[in-house]
Amino acid sequence: MSRSKLHKTNGPPASKPQVERRGISASPGIVIGTAFVRDAERLTVPRYTVDAARTDDEVRRFLQSLADTGKELRVLKTDIRGRMGEDHARIFDAHLMILDDRALVDETSALIRNERLNAAAAFDTVMNRFIASIAGIEDEYLKERTVDIRDVKKRVIKHLLGKNTRVTRPDSPSIIVARDLAPSDTAQLDRRTVLAYATDEGGRTSHTAILARSQGVPAVLGLESVFDRVETGDTLIVDGNTGMVVIHPTPETLESYRQEITRFRMLEEQLLTLSGYPGQTLDGREYGLTANLDSPDEVSAAVAQGAQGVGLFRTEYFFISQDYLPSEEEQYKVYRQVAEKMDGKPVVIRTLDVGGDKIASYLYRSPELNPFMGWRGIRFCLTRKDIFKTQLRAIYRASAHGSVKIMLPMISQIEEVLRTRDICAEVREELKRDRYKFDENVPLGIMVETPSAVALADQFAREAAFFSIGTNDLVQYTMAVDRGNSKIAHLYQHLHPSILRLLRLTVEAARRRKIRVSVCGEMAGDPLAVPILIGLGIDEFSVSPNMIPEVKRIIRAVTFDECRALVRRVNRFRTTAEIEAEIESFLKSHVPTVLDQGRLGT
Amino acid sequence: MIEFVKPVGNKIGLHLRAAGEFVKVAAQFSSEIRVYNGEKYANGKSILGLASLAASRGTMIRVEVEGSDETAAQKALEALFDAKFYED
Repeated sequence: MSRSKLHKTNGPPASKPQVERRGISASPGIVIGTAFVRDAERLTVPRYTVDAARTDDEVRRFLQSLADTGKELRVLKTDIRGRMGEDHARIFDAHLMILDDRALVDETSALIRNERLNAAAAFDTVMNRFIASIAGIEDEYLKERTVDIRDVKKRVIKHLLGKNTRVTRPDSPSIIVARDLAPSDTAQLDRRTVLAYATDEGGRTSHTAILARSQGVPAVLGLESVFDRVETGDTLIVDGNTGMVVIHPTPETLESYRQEITRFRMLEEQLLTLSGYPGQTLDGREYGLTANLDSPDEVSAAVAQGAQGVGLFRTEYFFISQDYLPSEEEQYKVYRQVAEKMDGKPVVIRTLDVGGDKIASYLYRSPELNPFMGWRGIRFCLTRKDIFKTQLRAIYRASAHGSVKIMLPMISQIEEVLRTRDICAEVREELKRDRYKFDENVPLGIMVETPSAVALADQFAREAAFFSIGTNDLVQYTMAVDRGNSKIAHLYQHLHPSILRLLRLTVEAARRRKIRVSVCGEMAGDPLAVPILIGLGIDEFSVSPNMIPEVKRIIRAVTFDECRALVRRVNRFRTTAEIEAEIESFLKSHVPTVLDQGRLGT
Repeated sequence: MIEFVKPVGNKIGLHLRAAGEFVKVAAQFSSEIRVYNGEKYANGKSILGLASLAASRGTMIRVEVEGSDETAAQKALEALFDAKFYED
């Protein structure tokens, strides 16, 4: 959205000035509402001496608090299992076992009896001892796990102090603001009272993001400094489309967002009626419109938007959102579920792309200086063949239940494809031996996202079954621009002449070998890029589900020949600005309303 | 008393959940179970104690089992180590 939406007041100073914060857009939609701040208060544990005659009572009180906490956790566990499945519920098993821990009970009781310490202080002391001995060790992964122990500690102490351990919940529909939300927090929120989520921590694959998308509720996460600025009752705007949150909006800002919401709704309704129509140009060329997904919860939304398949199924989420390696069985279940839900439509599963910005702490021991050029994607998988084979086995097994394809990320050398092909052959042999059913001919394609892959596109086209151009990384590596660096972020331009030239090379190489090319980066969902991609001759747009109708609308309003002519015109230009101006005037005459939607220029 | 030594085989070590699996097995036996990571000691029936041994992958763990059902307990616990706490 353009920044002009955010008006500054010129009149008398408002009591609270408008504040805007940008975060990670984790679930689409725009909401104006009242904030409900989910308070993660700090507990101060009182410390006092108990009367010698009353120590037995104090021990009983302690045991009772453990029992009460156990009851509460079991309720939570059942609730979460019902709504989110067994895997999510399992985290509570370890919590419950802590409450039963003999050493914990004995040591705490002894402290109460011998030192005449009050129960809360005694329990706090013993728990802190355990936490300290774990936190003192080198292993980053084990260290992180003290979170669970701290969580249990807090619950028990709250019971001892007679504090309410339930999440205070809003009684009317509100925007939930928090530092971070744990599964046990969101489990206690009533879906009907949640308008949106805005949190300081978390990213696109965090628990809250996945939950928000499956609930169809807007969410902006990773806001860093919103929690401290907002109080319950404040008016807030959460724009999940752009990742913007506005605190204390001025009347002018409110008004323009109201208009934006109305426009967004109308557009949504209009576009949804398109979902039954093909992505066909006026001159009859048909384009694949597929969805980029992070988790199986998003499949239904993608189908509703008219996705003809899954163009990119990212598999990082269960490697990152949990604290152990997912088993073959666990992965198989998810891949199979996606394949079955898509009902024979193609599902492209990208093998693990950890590294770069997505690091699972148990996989990576030490942070790299330059992770985007480091041990990631296929490089990681080929050195951790154990992890890679487990994933490939799971994907092959899922291929018995739908139309599954395998896609390799971060390819820069031909050996990476050849070695993977050998590993796939091994996997097929093993699966045959183990008597599993699978598709013998699962296509093996590659992401084209390094300049090296483009330069050698003709060679890769001989070895790969399909190309999918990952424009986000391709632009980053080609322009040598880190988008996160605000000083140079403006240099990140996917319509730059250099990028268009690389796309042309890639498409030409694919054409000669008659393999399919899709574009799965953000560029595929940019209205300005759509006519260019058509004109360049790609076959498929793979975008986030909510973008499908809009891309389709543009495709349906143009002809292939016009787009080809547009590409020829922009090929003359030397700057992105000229190219964008040319496309804008093209869109204005062909798809007039597309320029009103505020998505341009972001 | 019997004792045995086994390496922690699962990738992420004896963290809370793996410790939980250990306790689940240990709790089925009346024998006393003492677990050592070098100098550090934990009661084999205490999830917090086991977790605070901070044993990462490959650490050699010494287990002492003592009681009327010690042989059965030893077998069950060794099997758990061999199964890498059902994780990988």
